[in-house]
Amino acid sequence: MREIEELPLAVVDAAPVIPGGPPRRPVRDAVVTVATYVVSIAVALALCALLVAATGGSWEKVFSALIDGSLRSPGAWGLTLTTAAPLLIVAVGTIVATKAGLVNIGQEGQLLIGASCCAYVAVRIPGPGWFALLAALTAGLAGGALWAGLAAGMRFWRQVPEVISTLLLVFVAFQLVAYGLTKTWLLLDRTPRINKNNTGEPLPTDRTFGHLHLFGNDVSLSVVLALVLAVLIALWLSRSVGGFRLRMLGLNPRAAQRSGVSAVKVGGTALVASGAFAGLAGGVLLTSESAGDRVTTAFSGNYGWQGLLVALLARDRPLVAIPMALVFAALRTGSGFLAATGVERRIADVVQAMLVLALLIPPAIAAIRDRRRAVAAARAGAMATAPATAGAAA
Amino acid sequence: MIWDVLSSSILYESAFRLAVLFVLAATGEWMAERAGTLNISLEGMIIAGAFGAAVGSSTFDSVWVGLGYAAVAGLVLAAVQANMSHRLTANQFVVGLTLNVLVVGLTAFLNAELKPVVQRAGVVEIPLLSKIPLVGTAFFGQSWPAYMVYLAVPLAWFLVFRTRWGLELRACGENPQSADVSGVHVNKRRRQAIYLCGIYAGLGGGFLTLAQVGTFEPQGVAGRGFIAIAAVIFGGWTLKGTIAGCFVFGTAQALGSVLQALGYRANPQLLTSLPYVLALATMLLFAHRTRPPAALARPFVRGLT
Amino acid sequence: MLACDAVDLTLRRGEVHGVLGENGAGKSTLMKILIGLVLPDDGRVDVRGRSVHITDPLVAADLGIAMVHQHYSLVDALSVWENVVLGEPARLDPSAARARVREIGEHYGLDVDPDARVGSLTAGQRQRVEIVKCLRRDPTILVFDEPTSVLTPAESDQLFSVLRRVVAEEGRTVALVSHKLDEVLQATDVISIMRQGRVVEHLPAADADARTLARAMVGREVSLRAEAAAFGLAEAVQGAAPDLVSTVAAEPVPALRIRGASVRGRDGAPKLVALDVVVGAGEIVGVAGVEGNGQRELADVLSSLTKLDEGTVEVAGVAVPTGRPGAMAAAGVGVIPEDRHDSGCVLGMSVAENLAMADPHGVARRGMLDRRALRQRAARLMSEFEISAPGPDTPMRLLSGGNQQRVVLARELSASPTVLVAAQPTHGLDVGAIEYMGARLRAAAESGVGVLLISNELEEILALAHRIVVVHRGRVVGEMTRAEADLERIGLLMGGAAA
Repeated sequence: MREIEELPLAVVDAAPVIPGGPPRRPVRDAVVTVATYVVSIAVALALCALLVAATGGSWEKVFSALIDGSLRSPGAWGLTLTTAAPLLIVAVGTIVATKAGLVNIGQEGQLLIGASCCAYVAVRIPGPGWFALLAALTAGLAGGALWAGLAAGMRFWRQVPEVISTLLLVFVAFQLVAYGLTKTWLLLDRTPRINKNNTGEPLPTDRTFGHLHLFGNDVSLSVVLALVLAVLIALWLSRSVGGFRLRMLGLNPRAAQRSGVSAVKVGGTALVASGAFAGLAGGVLLTSESAGDRVTTAFSGNYGWQGLLVALLARDRPLVAIPMALVFAALRTGSGFLAATGVERRIADVVQAMLVLALLIPPAIAAIRDRRRAVAAARAGAMATAPATAGAAA
Repeated sequence: MIWDVLSSSILYESAFRLAVLFVLAATGEWMAERAGTLNISLEGMIIAGAFGAAVGSSTFDSVWVGLGYAAVAGLVLAAVQANMSHRLTANQFVVGLTLNVLVVGLTAFLNAELKPVVQRAGVVEIPLLSKIPLVGTAFFGQSWPAYMVYLAVPLAWFLVFRTRWGLELRACGENPQSADVSGVHVNKRRRQAIYLCGIYAGLGGGFLTLAQVGTFEPQGVAGRGFIAIAAVIFGGWTLKGTIAGCFVFGTAQALGSVLQALGYRANPQLLTSLPYVLALATMLLFAHRTRPPAALARPFVRGLT
Repeated sequence: MLACDAVDLTLRRGEVHGVLGENGAGKSTLMKILIGLVLPDDGRVDVRGRSVHITDPLVAADLGIAMVHQHYSLVDALSVWENVVLGEPARLDPSAARARVREIGEHYGLDVDPDARVGSLTAGQRQRVEIVKCLRRDPTILVFDEPTSVLTPAESDQLFSVLRRVVAEEGRTVALVSHKLDEVLQATDVISIMRQGRVVEHLPAADADARTLARAMVGREVSLRAEAAAFGLAEAVQGAAPDLVSTVAAEPVPALRIRGASVRGRDGAPKLVALDVVVGAGEIVGVAGVEGNGQRELADVLSSLTKLDEGTVEVAGVAVPTGRPGAMAAAGVGVIPEDRHDSGCVLGMSVAENLAMADPHGVARRGMLDRRALRQRAARLMSEFEISAPGPDTPMRLLSGGNQQRVVLARELSASPTVLVAAQPTHGLDVGAIEYMGARLRAAAESGVGVLLISNELEEILALAHRIVVVHRGRVVGEMTRAEADLERIGLLMGGAAA
């Protein structure tokens, strides 16, 4: 017998079923909610400041350096925006998979494969710049899609949990690309140079994203692409029939199956799509030159991981992912200025992770509060005002 | 060539040494998963343990203290995971993932600031047994922290199958509602299972630093926590199967250096990716045939009715 | 809504005390207070003359109060003896536990193998394990919550004799919670009737009769003939000439034909074995049987959730592929599932979205959902089916159970199905809601829908079905028209005996 495949490692959130609902006090609840968020973030930042102080640094200097690097110094905020683009694209793709009930944590690998495929096409394909760019980005998209497709295939054919397979594939991706960078017929630089050091071929300059020059800052056009994608996906998820069916699958796969939503087709497509987004982000990273103009083994530079964190931070809302991507991008570009303060630049990574953790707490507290209220309401209903006795005589 | 490899004691010795980390981490994860929790912060626990061991052994010039710090570091991480997921009801995948990223950043940061100098553990050969041909040094001639597995694995088996605690743990992993109604404190047992997992994984990380590699490398664990999770799946959630899987992956990882030592040349990327590919392949073969604990990765909240 | 209101209840040693009330009357809540799963806001519980606070099941166990649960106390993957000792603080001693299980089993005539895996037991055997688990703690008070819903009539009788024995010979007390008049009249010494959270009447069983009990339960005069099913009065249902209009059209093609359906479970055990069922248009066919004999798998097949290993399903003469997502629904099979949270509705979505689940294109233009149309459809269905909720955008999880069931019903019926599968449709509903559901099912049949009613409650089937099919271990073991129906014969068939 083949049941609708009940993958044992499905992600289930513990949401209480409260018939009648807990009593709600909207204004007070909103205030409390905002307060918990503020307190959470403050605590997280304070802990980071403590960490800096404990290792002999000055947190004021760190904070100042971060602001300098991300916003204040000339050209900084343009760079920050450009950095945010691939983060946002990865995040949006992740959200699509999450809404379908799938856990994709292999974006770093999908991004790298996408960047590599993009590079391969970009340095070889003839034709005008815009055409090559389009083709290269499509290749990047396809590469990421394929890489996630491996995990999708494993999940729907053999019930291999995608949370594990996407992760393991990241490491395989690194090795694959490292191999590719040793062969000129794959990724290795074909130009005769002395110290190639296993790097890819530099991108021809006509095949890159153009820039907007705004107030002395260079903002890559990839930012526009990222914004458009975020808005499109947000609309699609909330308004379209396809998005409706996807959400159904994520919330209740059995009910969805009854209604004609195939877990394999819709879920598989969602996972492949999220890989495609990550791959596209890799291509965007390459062609907007924010990580250099050629592929290296370290090219993905944690963009995949951080894009995933952005999605978590945004609590799976594509529009919220936009400001969140900016925050993370700011931390990234800001950390470049940390060297001068003597504080190890990895502190930025710590701040990012602490922020995500901090933002997990308020909803959890709200859920507990809701549940407590519901229990109280049921009891208030359950036992009355008048005293009652229930005796069990011996 | 195959015979050359199979008949060299280096293979078995390396395989065992590389398997220790897997065995400790996977055994911990096995306990956690039998309780119904899926602990993807396992990777983070290992890294935390590895770093803790570096700091502990460096500060006190003692391998024992290093191991102690390793266990505590793993436990601290486990405490965060357990309490956020099984007390505060945050999504356990999200928490686990974030903790992994946090630990990587935190340990890299602290490592650069503190620069610990690791005190390595010496090899202790068990008399007589280590003279067994071929596999003697593998099982009985390792750095002494390796022998932790001989205690840790039977202890885990005993705890899960021969104690009341273990019975309750298994009930929590199969049917937490029934366990709750029978008077078992489900989330408390689940948290305890994760704490144990943290200690085990931390010790595994400690072994990595103190006996296997000799230093702390921020990227040193490189996804092996996830391979350990794959070992549990490979083993069908049985302890024996899990350990078997650990040795398979340990061997795969050892192949690279063994081949090199024997004078063969092989594609370096292929060798490095071998454990991961093997983990994927074994899951492909076995995942759909085995049955996980029925309540795995399903959080438990006592309902209203 | 008050679940329990100023309840006065006294349980005496050596008696079987029936707590009677319809679903939602508060009897389950009251028992949960006694057992420590719910905390009272007010009031007092005295055990042996002393006031106590029962804060969790362990405290209740210490006081000598134990409950035999229906579904939620056994772990399938563990053995019988492991389940029996689960939750006790003492050291684990397998051989002593096994011996004790055998001992208790023999003493009470509850035959059970200590090493059997609970997951492989039948519902009746599982209940025996529950009782052994309960008795092991040597309780003074045993609470049974709707125990006969999973038993054949023969097993029920056996249960009642065990209860008598436990009470008479050992001076314990049994509280028997039920909504079935038959059961309470047969098995208890004293009856307390609860209605809307209060104990409204209290009398010895000898002085009670069906009419007074029913009236106390719902607070009005009842026609036992018309409402017998809701009260679990098998006799009354049997005797009453069914007021059923059988409009089985002379259609050559039945609404539903299942031929040779066979399915194995994940563990390889057969769940359905060469099952044949035919439902004509306008006919209500009742599938009778004790829970766990293939009913769930049958409903799953008809919900496109399970693929048949062998056999075919034809709706209005057209073969429908099983296991293909949405195929059954598209072919016109509506389903009111046993557990609406499982496959009937999406709790995380709104009422309007749930109502549009099966056919989102019906409220969409060019692939985009039309919010206005969505709300309009919801408003229409909500008023037609009397769904009580603040508005169409209310999250489904905030609705009461009865209202959620109405949403499912509304959605399924509004799709004009050819076949309607109703699996345990009145489970957990109060008398009014049960009546409503019954009326809706009859109305559907009268309008030409073929209704397949799968139910553990014999009374429900007898009240509604034109034809009855009995299943046992995945097979059809008996078939008869309503007129030929005979409680005894059905009971025997349900238990697996040839009749």
